[in-house]
Amino acid sequence: MSAQNGRAQPAVPGVGRLHAWRVAVRIARRDAMRYKARSLMVLAMIAVPIIGVSAADVTIRSSQLTVAQEADRELGAADVRLTDGGDGPQPVYQEPHGGSLSVRQAEELAKGAGDSAVESNGESPPVDMTKALPPGARWITDDETYAPVMTKYGLLDVEVRELKADDPIARGITRLDKGRFPRTAGEMSATTAFLKSSGLHIGSQVKVRGLGRSYTIVGAYELPSELDTEQLDALPGAFIEPYKKSPATSKDMWFAPSPSYLVSVEGDFTWDMVKHANTLGVLGDSRVVREHPPARADVPLYQVLPSYGKSQYGGDNGRAEAVAVGVTIVSLSMLEICLLAGPAFAVGARRSRRQLGLVGANGGDRRHVRAIVISSGLVIGVAAAVVGTLLGVALTEVLRGPLEGYVGKRFGGLRLEPLELAAIGGLAVLTGVLAAVVPAVAASRQSVLASLTGRRGVRRASRMLPTAGLFLLCLGVAVVFYATARADNIYTAVLGSGLAEIGLAMMTSVLVGLFGRLGRWLPVAPRLALRDAVRNRGRTAPAVAAVLAAVAGSVAVATYAASKSVEDRQSYQAELPRGAVAVSAYGDAQRDLGQVRAVVAKHYPVTGRVDVSRIYVGPPECATGDGAEKCGSVQPVMPEANKCPSSRQDIGPLTRAQADKLMTDWRCDRPGRPAAIGTEGGVLVGGPGVLHALGIRDGAAEQALARGETVLFDRAYADHGTFKIKLVADSTDVPEDGAEPKGPVKALPAYLSAQSQSYGVTAVVPQRAADAAGMTTTPAGSFFTTASMPTDAQRQALNEDVAKIGTRAQVYLERGYEGNGGVILLALTLFAGLITIGASGITTGLAQADAEPDLRTLAAIGAAGRLRRTLSGFQCAVVAAMGVVLGSIAGVLPAVALRRVEKRHQWNEYRRMLMAGWSDGSNVPHVPVAIPWETLALLVVGVPVGAGLLAALVTRSRPELGRRAEG
Amino acid sequence: MSSEYASAQAGEPAEEGGGGAREAAAAGRRAGPVLELVELTRVHGEGAAEVQALRGVDLEVAAGELVAVMGPSGSGKSTLLTLAGGLDMPTSGRVVVEGTDLTTASRKELAALRRRSIGYVFQDYNLIPALTAAENVALPRELDGISSRRARKEALAALEEFGLQQLADRFPDEMSGGQQQRVAIARALVGDRRLVLADEPTGALDSETGDAVLALLRSRCDAGAAGILVTHEPRFAAWADRVVFLRDGSVVDTTLRSAAESLLAGGAAQ
Repeated sequence: MSAQNGRAQPAVPGVGRLHAWRVAVRIARRDAMRYKARSLMVLAMIAVPIIGVSAADVTIRSSQLTVAQEADRELGAADVRLTDGGDGPQPVYQEPHGGSLSVRQAEELAKGAGDSAVESNGESPPVDMTKALPPGARWITDDETYAPVMTKYGLLDVEVRELKADDPIARGITRLDKGRFPRTAGEMSATTAFLKSSGLHIGSQVKVRGLGRSYTIVGAYELPSELDTEQLDALPGAFIEPYKKSPATSKDMWFAPSPSYLVSVEGDFTWDMVKHANTLGVLGDSRVVREHPPARADVPLYQVLPSYGKSQYGGDNGRAEAVAVGVTIVSLSMLEICLLAGPAFAVGARRSRRQLGLVGANGGDRRHVRAIVISSGLVIGVAAAVVGTLLGVALTEVLRGPLEGYVGKRFGGLRLEPLELAAIGGLAVLTGVLAAVVPAVAASRQSVLASLTGRRGVRRASRMLPTAGLFLLCLGVAVVFYATARADNIYTAVLGSGLAEIGLAMMTSVLVGLFGRLGRWLPVAPRLALRDAVRNRGRTAPAVAAVLAAVAGSVAVATYAASKSVEDRQSYQAELPRGAVAVSAYGDAQRDLGQVRAVVAKHYPVTGRVDVSRIYVGPPECATGDGAEKCGSVQPVMPEANKCPSSRQDIGPLTRAQADKLMTDWRCDRPGRPAAIGTEGGVLVGGPGVLHALGIRDGAAEQALARGETVLFDRAYADHGTFKIKLVADSTDVPEDGAEPKGPVKALPAYLSAQSQSYGVTAVVPQRAADAAGMTTTPAGSFFTTASMPTDAQRQALNEDVAKIGTRAQVYLERGYEGNGGVILLALTLFAGLITIGASGITTGLAQADAEPDLRTLAAIGAAGRLRRTLSGFQCAVVAAMGVVLGSIAGVLPAVALRRVEKRHQWNEYRRMLMAGWSDGSNVPHVPVAIPWETLALLVVGVPVGAGLLAALVTRSRPELGRRAEG
Repeated sequence: MSSEYASAQAGEPAEEGGGGAREAAAAGRRAGPVLELVELTRVHGEGAAEVQALRGVDLEVAAGELVAVMGPSGSGKSTLLTLAGGLDMPTSGRVVVEGTDLTTASRKELAALRRRSIGYVFQDYNLIPALTAAENVALPRELDGISSRRARKEALAALEEFGLQQLADRFPDEMSGGQQQRVAIARALVGDRRLVLADEPTGALDSETGDAVLALLRSRCDAGAAGILVTHEPRFAAWADRVVFLRDGSVVDTTLRSAAESLLAGGAAQ
């Protein structure tokens, strides 16, 4: 045939390479189909994150509405929504869609009056919006206010709207789920979110506190862009007016309604019409203006204030940070997948050794062999891209309801961005190709002869990589030390830890060699496994590195979470001894105290009760009425000498040395303490029973109270054996020059208790001491001691009864610190465990492919069949163990560094605040470091054992017979 | 054996090939050797582990000539073949294929030579399982950068010439061992390749199928190709023009076809 064909013309180089790639892809594609299990495993590894990312992309895009969709949801079918400009019939300026200012405010701002000019100058008369309506307009009103509604569980402040939701103009603002919209004044419909959180349902009666009537819920609806909004809807005039007029409506609870008109006009409500409405003090949110906003030059507000509405904040910074975080997460995930999938491709290349040898014998050079192995990554990457993005989109569609609930918004439609999805798919292809690169290079370095004869050579790992790794490790550790000792930038520590971890991963092959020295003390199966792993570092190292990376990440987060959990536990401020109960009431809730106390006594295993009062200043209505006028305040007086020097007015800025000294000064360490029964200055009026209820065992204090002396728990207020209280007559009268408000000071003889834990109580004043000093008191609540911690059932029963009363009085049960760190740690351990088992499983598969001749030899010299299982188990366990040990070391480092930097950062901040005189002592930093020993033990011991057992279980105990014709 | 072997099995080795083929072979010999091995030595390992696989072997194979290499295990037969194809490098000496010295060629040039000048046939598992017969035959051409369509056309032509066109779209695991070996020979000679290196190509086949495969190899050599056949079997060596005997890495005897036939026939009779 050679005679007929003549000598072949050399191909054009570029085109020729393309043709050679086509063969490579063809071989890879058919191989992928032949070894389905392996292909599916790698495909799943790559596709699963792609499913997540593409689903997230589709979800985000779908939840971004078009201008028209947004207008439909906010304006319904109306052309414009008119609202009161808030400055009476005076002209206002407005942005096309957004903020507004009165002409007066805008002009003052233009003069440079500062932001205070924007503050409203009190209530303005309402504007008659009908004047802004063009002739022939049709409109409906849409008003809303807030009101306390009684639910199954208590009081809930909800938005109450008056909108005739089934009017054609309102179509699109709400979407009816069940039932119908109200038709009579006694009916309301409710959002699904309200029904869910209130425990009410269609047919329930809904009562508003302070209003003597109830409404029947006749339907459930949703606001498509605010699914979480708790809202009730009544017919116009059915709620707001009666509620406003109700005498029982508490004055400070009244929330002025914001009336608006939804207007439908002939044609469009143009920007000129909006500007005309502005001259009448009316704002207009017009559909056509939203869709076609006017030029900036055509907006009077921007003429007066050219910079108005332009972002004053460097939003780009946050964006850049988000992009950086995103890129880091994506690259780390890709690296992890590459490390995991790489060995799988290496298994493939090893099993197809003869096939690759044949390619070499037929003239394939290294480039062609590389192309074939890389093509296997390409083929699986493309499949993963297609499967991942398709499943991602499908998943979004299937889970659309829950996803919409999660983002709190109905999608405008399933919006697919082809370019973005292609880019996400591209990531899958890139991951597949990158994962196959190292195995491809390794396969191409194999000589054709060795491939054809199946001769095994021990592949020596390169020396360059570990050397570079050592350098990176040292550099990383140095950066971490610098970060923890000098810089207070968290990113520096993270960068250092990252470098150290990459360095460690690069050194894996050398470290694996060190593990090999343990071999001589081990029995035959683990010794074989360890020696095999060490001799074949080329395949062991990537798997160990993959485990290392996953475990390091998990351990870092676990260590950080454990430290944070310790910090939370330490900074948790109990308001009462564990199991104790407090009932507190302020203002009008005081009248419910008796009922609430009875409910507590009924449901909880109460062993004792003590009632306490508080001091108040002003006429008697200040005791019971919220928002009563001319009420004063009670202020404990701290002697000048006890004040933290930095907070004193007469001391200027501090030097660093002075600040350092203050950082250990007791006067400056004044953490804020919450109290179960909150009173002004933490001053309670009561007897020795209060001490018992708070678990304070101090005989001298009890005696002092019995003598009529005040018991003081905060030594900063001790003033030569007295505790001084200032009674300020009008709390709203604050001196403008920053001076302290004036008022009579009462000095009460006081005993300073040595007890440090007083649960936020500054002082307990005996009733007769208060009376003697001429101070007026009023009941503030009660403390209860209990025989045991109330059960869930008891708590629910109590909540139900309290809800029935419909009170704002609070019942507080101290349950102590309840962290959720355990769940996070468990999840992290599971994650790291799964990755470890996966990675070591793949390597075991690879080792098994290599070890077949050894196993046959072993069988020939009489080794038992189970040796195969044992060996496989140990091979898996060895990789897992090396990975978790190195990973745990690599993970603890960044977490500790991060915490140390955080500590440094916080102390620096604290010092800065002290120096500036801003510290009130409530922010003394506390940043402990805790190592999650249980998690580490589980990872270091449990996971390798589990991985080994699993590998042993799934390995066949009988050897493969002969060689199969699989190339 | 199936009927498809009929054409290859026809006639005795002595009668193989017509007068035209002989003339072509003679013309090839006149044009100079396709393969030339000069003072070829290959030493494996060092020191105590040193093994002399080949010791100063000289051999020439001309176009149209089929040379059989025989010898006991470890005599250096396979080493000779791997050196001849550039899969391994000699410790000393030269390997010249169609005028190109393989010992000075780069790795890329060697690969290119294997694509364009040298074809290998191994004992078994010659074909890439992921490719059909036609694609296997087209492989060297495609690796050489020829378009898939053209490479397939050439492969189909080659298969037809070998009487294997009905196997074109079968995968290796859908073919018998004999069919696989014949497809491998087709691949070894596709395009412009003129040197076939066959390492025990009949080792995994029964004798009837083995004969069919060798008949095909013989016919390709008669058509102008040069071939080296490594074999243990005297009856297969009888298809060759010349038999070279190796022992401990050295050529101990060379016998021409006629003498070899009688020699081997005698040996077989004994």
